[in-house]
Amino acid sequence: MIQRHQRIVFWCLILCVVGMGIILAAERQRGRDRIAALAADQTPLDAPTAMTEAVTLDLANDDDGTIAATTRQIALPEEVNARARALIEHLVAEYALPGSPHPLPPGSAVAEVFLLPLPVVGYAADTSSAPTSDGGFKATLPVASADPNALQAKQPGGELAVIDLRSTFVNQHPSGVEVESLTMRSILGTLHANLPQIEQVRFLVDGQARETLAGHADLLRTYPARDTTTSTNEGP
Amino acid sequence: MTACLFALATMTEFAQTPVPSSASPSPPASSSLPAPAPIQISRRLIVIDPAHGGIDSGSQISDTTVEKDVTLALAFRLRAMLTARGFTVVMTRDADTPAEPDATGSALTLDGRAGIANHAHAAACLLLHATGSGNGVHLYSSQLDATAGEPPVAPWLTAQAAWVPQSQLLKKQFAAALTRAEIPLVTSSASVRPMDSLTCPALVIELAPQSDDADSINGTDYQQRVALAIAGSLLFWQNQVQPPARIAAAAAGYTAPASSAGAQP
Repeated sequence: MIQRHQRIVFWCLILCVVGMGIILAAERQRGRDRIAALAADQTPLDAPTAMTEAVTLDLANDDDGTIAATTRQIALPEEVNARARALIEHLVAEYALPGSPHPLPPGSAVAEVFLLPLPVVGYAADTSSAPTSDGGFKATLPVASADPNALQAKQPGGELAVIDLRSTFVNQHPSGVEVESLTMRSILGTLHANLPQIEQVRFLVDGQARETLAGHADLLRTYPARDTTTSTNEGP
Repeated sequence: MTACLFALATMTEFAQTPVPSSASPSPPASSSLPAPAPIQISRRLIVIDPAHGGIDSGSQISDTTVEKDVTLALAFRLRAMLTARGFTVVMTRDADTPAEPDATGSALTLDGRAGIANHAHAAACLLLHATGSGNGVHLYSSQLDATAGEPPVAPWLTAQAAWVPQSQLLKKQFAAALTRAEIPLVTSSASVRPMDSLTCPALVIELAPQSDDADSINGTDYQQRVALAIAGSLLFWQNQVQPPARIAAAAAGYTAPASSAGAQP
């Protein structure tokens, strides 16, 4: 004879087993729905709110030392600094693909890109404004540098792009005049083609000035952003 | 307080910038200052810079070949052929380690190499490099925009600008000679340290393997053909090289700088 309290415990356990089964089935269905939703979403992860657009990439070829303009459909961020950075990252990602004519190491190449309006100016205190309580001046005035070699804009709205490369990318970059020069010209040409307001480009590595990219290409100078596809192999 | 700090920072930045004095304006160049004479160059002197050396091996061309050894081997061949043709050759290094280490005994810097070349006043400065990619010879002149003449004090990082037309002319002559020698050729412009700091017709000559085999870059016959073409071309070049005109100080808008940073050593 089974006692009453034992029957109660038995039926409670049965209820728990059935409840757990229902919960497991529901969670399984939710997981399947989430995976199905991810598979259906083709939007790139780096720009979930943007639509793809036609972008010109100036791709280098080590075999003949040329750079050719190629169009790709890529989603880019709206903000212009992030846009410049994404352009270079996509360019380097192309070179990291198997069979690339200009093979570069995979991974992120750029830490940050900063765009500065040209000419680069300093600021001086406006002595005509009333001083503050601590003796300072309320206003500052932009002051252009008297240095004739200071960076100047060629067109109104011209900008200087400061590209901060990652040392992990630079340290693994192949060494050689041609291969380094092609990387630089490819970056300059791609920026010029897609962000024409960029007139000049400076390179840093981990936030510091560095003499060369991998022993050859100069990283200390300011480069003009220009169409590099027309200045490739000049022939004899 | 913030504005005060900002003003101080700005004053510090601009304190080192040479500003033309409005109290004593410089007279026009044509009225009082004669145009300076062009720089005297030694037409039978060639500077050869075998790139890298010492702990700096350059690029790894194959399992057994590094760039610094190839550039030195090509430099020796070139020096022998140029000396046989009556040239004086200055090399920035003639051993694995740079020729003139600095006081601390460390390797010669890129700026140090440019200093040796600039003091020589040579008819041509040849920067030898080597690579495992591509074939034949890659010729590069400076990427700088050419200027009308040489200023009284050339900015160190763009000193080559006044010599760019001469460098491009030399590149064309080398290209013609290498093409005649049936050596595959790529010509372009590049910014390679320390070429932009040189005050002489300057070219980067990058030697690539003769064939798909990377070790073919060490081929004696191959390097001999390249050196012969270059040495033969320089024989004609010595009579054609023309130093750029020098710009008078007033015409260049030059005033004595507050510091010597960026000027020629």
